[in-house]
Amino acid sequence: MYAGRCYGYFYRLTGDRDLSDELLSELFIKLVEKIGSYKGGAFESWLFKIASNIFHDHLRGKQRRRKLLDARRAELELEPDLNESRLSDNGEERLDRLQVQVGRLDADTRELITLRFYSELSFKEIAELRSEPIGTALSKLHRGLKKLRELMEG
Amino acid sequence: MNVMRDPTHENLSELLRQFMDESTARATQEDLKAVERMMAGCPAPTPSRGILSAIKTQMIVSALHRRRRIRIFRRAMAAAAALVMTILIAQHGRNPAGSPSTTFASILPAAVWESNNLAADDPDLVYFTSEIRQIEAQMRDLEAGDTDIQGRKTLDELELELMAMETEFWKR
Repeated sequence: MYAGRCYGYFYRLTGDRDLSDELLSELFIKLVEKIGSYKGGAFESWLFKIASNIFHDHLRGKQRRRKLLDARRAELELEPDLNESRLSDNGEERLDRLQVQVGRLDADTRELITLRFYSELSFKEIAELRSEPIGTALSKLHRGLKKLRELMEG
Repeated sequence: MNVMRDPTHENLSELLRQFMDESTARATQEDLKAVERMMAGCPAPTPSRGILSAIKTQMIVSALHRRRRIRIFRRAMAAAAALVMTILIAQHGRNPAGSPSTTFASILPAAVWESNNLAADDPDLVYFTSEIRQIEAQMRDLEAGDTDIQGRKTLDELELELMAMETEFWKR
């Protein structure tokens, strides 16, 4: 149950199945290691906080590796690998299209929308998890949803 | 993922209205529903059975390693605690020189509880005891022998001397 949701979260953020496998594996190993730090409350909140940290660690590592590349190239490489996604999903056009459009959002908004959909947390919990004011999260969400809807319907 | 229902049970429209005007809040809510419908209609791929199986194995191995690390840590802590206790006991029992120690004053002479033979260990007592024994022996000789006037006189003198000595002894 959680594996599917976490995998979807990683996949929507990276667009890469192999990478999602790696991140999912890392997440569950971290869960075993950090289970002592779970103090009750919403399990999803704790789980997706770790998932989010893992994804950001991955991004930081990726950015370090690309330090020598110019900013434009780095930005392009952060986009999901659409060809790989298309191949791995046996030509499911709609799925690819959503992944393409989600990949066009900025990383922060993409994570916010993905987190909302896969974690099923409230916006209050999401804002808390992201350590930002709820008003800021809702404002980003408003812009991101509008853009994504336009992209998908356009 | 049941997107059409609100799994968080939060009143989204009320929440949005706290931060946005009426029309923006309504538009955001509509956008959210539309995007959630799209995402529900295009489900992300699910992890393969192979990767889930590999993750389970990794979790078991990780849990075993964690348990082993905890066990080793606990043993090390127990050993360290035992060592500290041993050192503390050794230091406490040694009573190092110069450190203040408790002295108990005795109300009895040391000879009373240190000696097996009081009469032999106390020099004064030894002296008077020997004197008394000597006089007693003389008295027994006298009583067993002649009881003439001279002898009676000597006996009386000895008895007086014995009484004087005993009195003198207890005055010391």
